[in-house]
Amino acid sequence: MANPRTKLTWSLIALVGALTVFPVLMLMLGSFSEGLTAFGRFTTDKYVEAYTDPAFYEVLANTAVFVLGTSLLSTLLALFLAYLNTRTDIPFKGLFGVISIVPMMIPHLLFAVSWALLLNPSNGLVNLALKEAFGLDEAPFNIYSLWGMIFVEALLELPIAYLIVAPAMASFDVALEESSRVCGAGTWRTLLRVTLPVLRPAILAAFTLGIVRSLASFAVPSMIGMPGRVQVLATHLYTMISTGFATDYGKAAAVGMSVLVASVTLIVVYRALTAESEKFVTVSSRGFRPTLVDLGRARLPLFGLVGLLSVALIVLPVAVLLYTSFVPYSMVPGARAFSLMGLRHWHAVLEDPISLLALKNSLFLAVVGATLGVVLSVFVAYVIVKVKTRAAGLLESLSYLSFSFPGIVIGVGFMWFFVQTPLYATIWALLLGYIATYLPYGIRPMSSAFIQIHSHLEESSLVCGASPLVTLRRIIVPLLVPGIVAGWILLASMFVRELTLSVVLSRPGTEVLAIQILRYSEDGMWGRLSALGIVMILISTGLVVLATLIGNRFKITAA
Amino acid sequence: MKKLLVASFCVLGAIAQAGAQDKAQLDKARAEGKAAFYANITAVEPIIKAFTADTGVTGEYTRISTSKFVATAITEFEAGKLQADVVQAPLPVLEMLKEKGVLANYRSPAAAGYPEWTRKDAAIQLFGIEYVALIYNKERVKPADVPKRYEDLTLPKWKDQIVMANPANHATTISWLIGLKENVFKSEAEWRAFLKGLAANKPMFVASFGPTPAPVESGEKLIAISMPKYIVTKAPAPLDWARLSQPMMGTPRAIAVTSKAPHPAAARAFVDYWLSQKSMAMLAKDVGEYVLAPGVYPPIDGIKDAKVIAIRELSDDEIVKWGAEFKQIFDVK
Repeated sequence: MANPRTKLTWSLIALVGALTVFPVLMLMLGSFSEGLTAFGRFTTDKYVEAYTDPAFYEVLANTAVFVLGTSLLSTLLALFLAYLNTRTDIPFKGLFGVISIVPMMIPHLLFAVSWALLLNPSNGLVNLALKEAFGLDEAPFNIYSLWGMIFVEALLELPIAYLIVAPAMASFDVALEESSRVCGAGTWRTLLRVTLPVLRPAILAAFTLGIVRSLASFAVPSMIGMPGRVQVLATHLYTMISTGFATDYGKAAAVGMSVLVASVTLIVVYRALTAESEKFVTVSSRGFRPTLVDLGRARLPLFGLVGLLSVALIVLPVAVLLYTSFVPYSMVPGARAFSLMGLRHWHAVLEDPISLLALKNSLFLAVVGATLGVVLSVFVAYVIVKVKTRAAGLLESLSYLSFSFPGIVIGVGFMWFFVQTPLYATIWALLLGYIATYLPYGIRPMSSAFIQIHSHLEESSLVCGASPLVTLRRIIVPLLVPGIVAGWILLASMFVRELTLSVVLSRPGTEVLAIQILRYSEDGMWGRLSALGIVMILISTGLVVLATLIGNRFKITAA
Repeated sequence: MKKLLVASFCVLGAIAQAGAQDKAQLDKARAEGKAAFYANITAVEPIIKAFTADTGVTGEYTRISTSKFVATAITEFEAGKLQADVVQAPLPVLEMLKEKGVLANYRSPAAAGYPEWTRKDAAIQLFGIEYVALIYNKERVKPADVPKRYEDLTLPKWKDQIVMANPANHATTISWLIGLKENVFKSEAEWRAFLKGLAANKPMFVASFGPTPAPVESGEKLIAISMPKYIVTKAPAPLDWARLSQPMMGTPRAIAVTSKAPHPAAARAFVDYWLSQKSMAMLAKDVGEYVLAPGVYPPIDGIKDAKVIAIRELSDDEIVKWGAEFKQIFDVK
C-alpha cells in the first residue's frame, strides 16, 4: 500500500496541476501559434519579435531595479513592523498590526493615484506644503520616477511581507534569545545573530513573493511609471497588447514565459536556501512561550517612527480617497473645495444595481474562495515543508505557475481555458481562477509557520495512535492558527479587489467590485471610484477583524 | 383622385404591413427574452434600461475594453460560446470581426435618416464619432492663451502643461495624429514640425483618454488632448474645449448584429432601438457623445458648429508602424 504522504502528495499535484497548468499551457500554445487565439499554425516569430526588440533590454534593466528595490524595501519595513508589533512592548500594537495590512485592501490603482496627488511635481499636496514651508523654488519630490514607483509598490507589497513574517515572528521560541543574552550578547547582537537567522525562511518567502508580485504588478507602473516614462515589463507588455486592435496575446505570452522562468528559478533558489528546515524549528515542546522585549527608552521614538510610517501607509492615501469621494471633481483642497463637498458620488455608487451586485459577488468570492483556498493551502504547505521529496518540489512549482505569469496575460490564459468548459461565464470560473492564481498567498504564511513546528510533535501523536487527520486537527492546526489567519486574510483581501482574471471572465451577473472600479477609472470618474474604493476597504477591514477574532478564539479554545 | 385614393390605400397598407411586421418582430424578440450587448462605451446603462422598459426585452451590457475586444469575441466565437447578440466598437474592430465571420448582415430601418457614408456595408452601421479636441482648465488658462490652431500646442508656454494618451500605443491617439496629417496640415513637413514641437513640450502620457481630464481638472496640467464629452460627464469641473479654426476629428464607432446571435430577433430590436433618435439623444445628452443621427448634438457650447471628421480607417499594421514611429518622436521609454 502506498505511503499516505505519497498518496496525499500526488493527489495534491493532480488537483493543483488541474487548477494551474491549463491556462499556462494555453498561453504557451498561444505564444507558438500564428493565429490570434490559442490554436493556430506553429511559429517562433512571436519569440523572435519579442526578444529582438532593442527597447526590451532597457525595460529589463528598469524591471530588475524596480522589483529588487521594491522587494527589499517591503521586506525590511515588514521585518521592522513585525518585530515591534509582535516581540516588543511598543504601545498601540493591535492598532499598528491592522494598519500594517490596510494597504492590501486599498485597490492598487487608487493607492497609486493617491500618491500621485500627494507627490506630483506640479501641484502634489506634500510638495506644495514643503515648498511653502521651506521657500523652495522647485518641488522636492517627483513621484513619476523609478524611486517613486519603488516607494509606492513597496508600501503595497508591505502587507504581504508583514503577513508572512509576523506569524513566524509571533511563534518564535524566545528561549533562544534568552540563551543568547545569558551568554552575554546584547539586544542588537541577539537580533542579528539569533532572531533574524531563525526567521530566514519567512524573510526569504517575503522577499521572493515580493519579487514575483512586483514583476506582475501593473497599477503602479501604469499610473506612476508611464507618466514618468519609466517602462518596466508590465507596461512593456501593456504597450505590446494595446497597440492596434487585434491584440496579440501570444506575443505577450512569449515575453511572459521569461517571467515564468525567472519565478520558477526563484522558487528553486528559495527551496535550496531553506532546504535544511530543521534549523529553523523553534516550536518543539511545551516550553514554547513568547515573551516581550522591553524597548526601554527607545519605546517612544520607535512609536513615533511607526506612527509616521502608518501615516504614509494608510492615513494619507485613505484621506485622499475620502476627500476625492466628496468633491465633485479632482481639485486641490481649499475653501472652495470644501464648500462644494457633497455625497453625489456616494449616491451614484450605492444606488447603482451593478455596484450592489458586484458587492455581493465579491463578498461571496472572498469568503468562500479564501476558505477553500486556505484548506487547500494547509495541505499543500504541509507537503511542501514536511514531505521533502522531489514530488513536493513539483507541487510547490505548480502552485506558483499561474501566479508567476504577468497579470495582464494570465487572465486571457484562463479565458482560453474556461471557454472550453461549461464553467465559462459563471461565478465558479472566477472562484477557481482566483484560487489557482493566488494559492501562494495562502501557502507562504502556512509554510513559514509549518517550518517552525518540529515533526516530533506530529510523530508523538501518530505513535500514540492518532490518525494523520486527527493529528493535523488536534496538534498541527492549533499551532498553525496565526498562519491560517494570515493566509485567509491575504486571500480574502486579494479576492475582494481581484481584477486581472475578473476583467476577462466576468459577465453580466458575475460582476465584481474591481470591475466596477475599472469602469469608473476608464471613464475618469475618480469620485465614484474613490467612494467604491472606501466601500472595498471597509469590507476588507471587516473581514480582517472577523478573521482575527475567530483566530484568537480558536487559539484560546485550542490552548 | 382615384389614383390618389389608390396610392393612399397602398401607403396605408404598407404602413400597416410594416407595423404588423414590426409587432411580429418585437413579439419574437420578447419571446427570446434578452439581447446581450458587448461594447466599451461610457454610461450606457440608461439606454439599456429604457430599451428594457420600452420593448419588454431585457438588455444586458458587457463592457469589454477595446484591447481585449477582438480576442474575447473571437475566442468565444470559435468555441461556439459567443454570448453577444450585438457588438459595438471602433470601426476597425468590427471590420476584423466581420472578416472572421462573427457579424451578420442587417440593415436597420432606424438608420434610414443617417448619412449615406455611415452605412459601411450590409453588416456594419456607424452611429458616432469618438471625437478628440483640446480640453483646457478654463479657470487657469486665460481666454487669450487658449489655442486657436493645433500648432499652438508647440508654443513653449505649454511645456510640461499637456497631458495626452500614450502616442506609442493608444490607437485612437495614433489615428488622430495621422488624421491631422491627412486632414489638417498642408504638408508632411508641417505635420512633422508639429509633432516635434509637441514632443519638445514634454507632454505627460497616460494609458488612455479616461485618465486625461483629471490632471486638467485639478490643475496639475493645463491642457489635454482628450474628448469633449468629459465637459458633460465631469460637470461642474472647469473644463472647456478650444474652438480651433481647424476641423475636429475622431474614429467612428460602429454597431452590428452577430452571425450566431443567441437571440437574433432581440438583437435586431436592440440595434433598431440603439439607432433611434431617442437613444442617440440620450447618448449625446447624458454622455456627451458625438452621434451621427441627424440634428442630435451633445449639450456642449459651440459643438453644433464644429466641423467633425471621421478619420480614415487605419489598418492594424499601420497603427503598429506609426505607434513605433511616434515612440521615437515622443521619446516614449
